[in-house]
Amino acid sequence: MTLPPTGFVLVVEDSDEDFDTVLQAAREASLPQEIRRAATGGECLRLLADCERERRTAPLLVLLDLNTPGEDGRAVLRAIRGNGQLRTMPIVVLSTSDNPRDLDFCYQNGVNAYHTKPVSFPAHLRTLRCIFDYWLGSVVLPAAPQHIP
Amino acid sequence: MKTPYADHASNPAPADPPLPWAGGAYSIKRHGVSLTNCDSEPVQTPGCIQAHGAMLVVQPGDFTILQVSENVGVHFGRTPEELLGQPVTTVLGEEGVRRLRQVLDREPVERNPLYVFTLPARKANPALDLTVHLVDGVAVLECEPTARAAAEPEPEPEPDYYALVKRSVGRMQSAQTLAEFCQIAAEQVRALTGLDRVMVYRFHEDFHGEVVAESKREGLTSWLGLHYPSEDIPRPAREIFKKIWLRPLPDAAEPVMELVPLINPATQRPLNMTHCALRGASVMYVEYLQNMGVAASLTLSILIEGELWGLIACHHYTPTRFPYQVRAGCEFLAQVTSLQLRSAVQRETLHYRLRLEEVHNRIIAQASLDLDLASMTIGSPNLLNAMDATGAAMYHSDRWWRVGATPEEAHLDALKIWLDARPEFQNPTRPVYATDSLARDFPGAADDVAIASGLLALPLARRKGNVIVWFRPETIQTVKWGGDPSDKPIVTGPHGPRLTPRKSFELFTESVRQRALPWNPSEIDAALRLRLLIMELVVTRADRLREVNADLTRSNEELDAFAYVASHDLKEPLRGISKYAHQLLESAFADDVETRTRLEGLQRLTLRMDSLLDSLLHYSRVGRTTLQFENVDLNEVVAEALEIVAARRQETPTEINVASPLPTVLADRMRVREVFANLIANALKYNDKPHREIHIGYSPDGVQGNVFHVRDNGIGIEARHQTTVFNMFKRLHGRNEFGGGSGAGLTIVEKLVSQHRGRVLFESTPGEGTTFFFTLAPGADTTP
Repeated sequence: MTLPPTGFVLVVEDSDEDFDTVLQAAREASLPQEIRRAATGGECLRLLADCERERRTAPLLVLLDLNTPGEDGRAVLRAIRGNGQLRTMPIVVLSTSDNPRDLDFCYQNGVNAYHTKPVSFPAHLRTLRCIFDYWLGSVVLPAAPQHIP
Repeated sequence: MKTPYADHASNPAPADPPLPWAGGAYSIKRHGVSLTNCDSEPVQTPGCIQAHGAMLVVQPGDFTILQVSENVGVHFGRTPEELLGQPVTTVLGEEGVRRLRQVLDREPVERNPLYVFTLPARKANPALDLTVHLVDGVAVLECEPTARAAAEPEPEPEPDYYALVKRSVGRMQSAQTLAEFCQIAAEQVRALTGLDRVMVYRFHEDFHGEVVAESKREGLTSWLGLHYPSEDIPRPAREIFKKIWLRPLPDAAEPVMELVPLINPATQRPLNMTHCALRGASVMYVEYLQNMGVAASLTLSILIEGELWGLIACHHYTPTRFPYQVRAGCEFLAQVTSLQLRSAVQRETLHYRLRLEEVHNRIIAQASLDLDLASMTIGSPNLLNAMDATGAAMYHSDRWWRVGATPEEAHLDALKIWLDARPEFQNPTRPVYATDSLARDFPGAADDVAIASGLLALPLARRKGNVIVWFRPETIQTVKWGGDPSDKPIVTGPHGPRLTPRKSFELFTESVRQRALPWNPSEIDAALRLRLLIMELVVTRADRLREVNADLTRSNEELDAFAYVASHDLKEPLRGISKYAHQLLESAFADDVETRTRLEGLQRLTLRMDSLLDSLLHYSRVGRTTLQFENVDLNEVVAEALEIVAARRQETPTEINVASPLPTVLADRMRVREVFANLIANALKYNDKPHREIHIGYSPDGVQGNVFHVRDNGIGIEARHQTTVFNMFKRLHGRNEFGGGSGAGLTIVEKLVSQHRGRVLFESTPGEGTTFFFTLAPGADTTP
């Protein structure tokens, strides 16, 4: 058994309730990683840019809600995938929409997984737990981009 | 006698026997009776003059007499032999010749007879009015007894012809319409001449004539409105009327006097008498007049731009004289009439056209208000108003719209096909076909000549087969013909039945069979204009449909956006509610049953709302995506549908029978699968029997294609609910009975089936089961 990867998970989520659910799921899963939040797409991109400038490591995983205020999840996805350094960073979309157009768009633009966000609270928790178990437990993640001069 | 109607311009057919005067000069006196064809008569060189006057043809230079009429003895007391070759001084005297020379030198006498002087009476010889004109290099002297000499011994004072003519012109100028103008012209000519009957006779395009105005003596039958065959005024006569203003025949019964010699020695040709007032009348014309009981005639020409528009025909029932002053006055009136008529005709044409256009504008306005062309035939005004036609039909929107007398639709269909191939219809600027004899061009119209001899047809729009047509009846049906044997006793002329009214009418009837009155240019222009208006209207309608379609597309997109918002923005708070309810439930005291029940209810409601939102989203998406038609093997599709409902099948064990094999149909695979899945899910759901059964099958049906069915032995649908089961979110049962559900399933089924141009319906007996039937029209339109 390998040691759990260290670093942080970036959650792009404008709803306080939904972010709180994420935290609860992380707690229940006893995640060792830090959970950071970006409430808007713009904030997410600023945070990533800061990492790059300050030569800190990028997040291990991004949990992306598609419908965020300002630059929405689609724009964030494109910006991340358009960045050479961040191209391999795992991105998991968690969206209310099951519209085939959204699914198509996300997979076309290199998302790693797409989950619909259930309305039912227990189901929502279950979904998040699955994501954490899989991406932070089962999967061997790429080495997080190190910003080396 | 052949029918000159068929071809006015042709010369006698080659098959005709040689003319009796071939090789020599024609003379009415010698050959007139032998004529068989009006159009072959050499009316310009009749070789004879009317007996009441005398003629001298002289060499203009030395005034040697070249030709004389055989009756010079009566007027001058000399035989022709005594005069020929002599100087004209012999009969006119020195003073007469001096006056003649003056006129010839100073006046425009070329083909224009002018008064020279009056030769006083001598002994038994009456006083003679002399006129002269030049033709083909010789001077033609016409001598007629003066009116004074012919009248009573105590002559009345001469009327003031100048004042009469001046008054006439003034009255004609006051006319408001063409008909009024013609009426005034007839009255003024009669006032000037005092003749029994004066008619304005108008030529139609086929040269048959119509009496459009008449002034007559009391007691005479009116001929106003009568039509006469073109043979009555044959082509050679019409040609002469284009060259002269006036043609007097004061005594039709007079014998004719031959010229001596018949061939003019100076020109070596028969004398051209076109411009002679004394010109001998054709035997046929004289007979024609006599058959009508007319003793004297005076004919004035009405010319518009060199073409013969009509005549002012004057008849008198006793022989008379037309003194030179009267003739001059009439000639002047004829010229004034011609000049003023031109503008009167133009005004009339303009009025007719404006009236047509005004009616057409109203028709179009109504049609554009209705967004439908139907009112053009059933409304008021319609296509028959204003246009001088008795029937109209329009083919549009895949059917005929008819008004008035038209052929039956099967005949119209044949006509339409024939018209589509006409070269006239391909004309890019004036696509119009107009005929006065449809049956001549289109033998298929032979059965309909009575109502459809005349046709004015235009293609409507670019799409083939859309046409608009007007019909005119056969002229025999509508026009009252002069010379109709039913009107008059049969009279045979002295030379046989050649030109009796009866004969003429029979000829005419023959020649106007299958013919209608021709369409005039105003009507054709107005029809072309109407066509453009209709096309504009049709285009506008298409534009409006496009706009509506664009609006629909837009609102579909808005619905898409709305559904998206509904799915996301409404679900987010719902998720929050679910969460808090859950958390509250976790922290509630275990014994606080009431609170726990309420919180559980709250959770259940959030889930119910969630599923309603999903259905709404799904339903809107079903309508928006385009169908993908392919050959679909329904055996596979039903198997897949059963997979989809597998979970429910485990909950409610059911025996499912599928007819084998199911056919392959042209359809959208995903949608048909959803139809089956929804119907099977309902069949599984609404069943309370211990042994549950579903049967899936189809029956081939000739009309609708295959009829598919899904039958269950479930609870059935009560009659009172049968009309509402397809309504959105309509549930017939409590949300906890039969596994709940959003109530959108059947709504979606109906939409999917109708997208295939199919129908869905059901039969149900409450308590025993329900069978849903549906069809899928093969090859249905792929647009949603």
